[in-house]
Amino acid sequence: MSTPGIQPKPFNPHIRRNPPIEGELEAIANAQKGDPKAFEMLYALHKRRVYSLCLRMLGNIAEAEDLTQEAFLQLFRKISTFRGDSAFSTWLHRLAVNVVLMHLRKKGLPQISLEESLEPAQDDGPRKDIGTRDLTLAGSIDRVTLERAVENLPPGYRLVFVLHDVEGYEHNEIADMLACSIGNSKSQLHKARMKLRELLRTGERKEQII
Amino acid sequence: MTQNSLNTKDTMKMDCAQFQDRLPELFESGADLSTNQHLRTCTNCSALVRDLEYIAQQAKLLLPLHDPSPEVWTNIRSAIQNNGFQQEEDSSVNHR
Repeated sequence: MSTPGIQPKPFNPHIRRNPPIEGELEAIANAQKGDPKAFEMLYALHKRRVYSLCLRMLGNIAEAEDLTQEAFLQLFRKISTFRGDSAFSTWLHRLAVNVVLMHLRKKGLPQISLEESLEPAQDDGPRKDIGTRDLTLAGSIDRVTLERAVENLPPGYRLVFVLHDVEGYEHNEIADMLACSIGNSKSQLHKARMKLRELLRTGERKEQII
Repeated sequence: MTQNSLNTKDTMKMDCAQFQDRLPELFESGADLSTNQHLRTCTNCSALVRDLEYIAQQAKLLLPLHDPSPEVWTNIRSAIQNNGFQQEEDSSVNHR
């Protein structure tokens, strides 16, 4: 459907999990005009992904709900500035990521500063795995185990891992959301997977000892 | 860098440290790692690659399952109604 104000963008093969949602363009255009029903529809379409991102980053239901609320209030204030240059869900995710980052910065991060983990130092490469013979993970990870391991990632790693491997965003989109380079996003993702492997293998060893 | 140049020729004589340094690049290039010469001869790096690919696959298990409680929307609606939030105006529209 063609909607005044927003021109549909050509299909972008890089946007894997953000296909246009039926009725979304019209809802965006109407919400931009202040239609509360249209805004409610946008909330219904996107609340789950925004909430899940907040929950993964904070690990706390009450805080995640507060930030979901804040993200959608910001959406209400800013929706008139959406021009359709990126998928709406990507634009909304960027907004939600900013809300989460602001919150984490206010709280002070428990393990590692986000700036640090998004701006890797020269010697901050993943630890090499050389010469150790050990079990592999294949077939051993269930949702709960992986969820727990992701919770233990440093926030910067966790954010890139969730956005790329869970949500399906491409590195160029993540770089745009986090205002970092594409190379930085790739580097953070690799480190996140390496750290997850370490966490999952440590967990398996502990289970074997018990 | 092309997929082929990253694959067998460049990584044939790599040791584990060199291979693992280039691993992010190899993953992102979409290269077929099953034909990689280093991986054919190194069980350790093969296990590492298998694990990292497995983790990336399993990440899809974590797609969102839960909605926020209904109170979240109630609060948003009240905040909009009570505080009369003003939408930010798009300057490109205003100048038309």
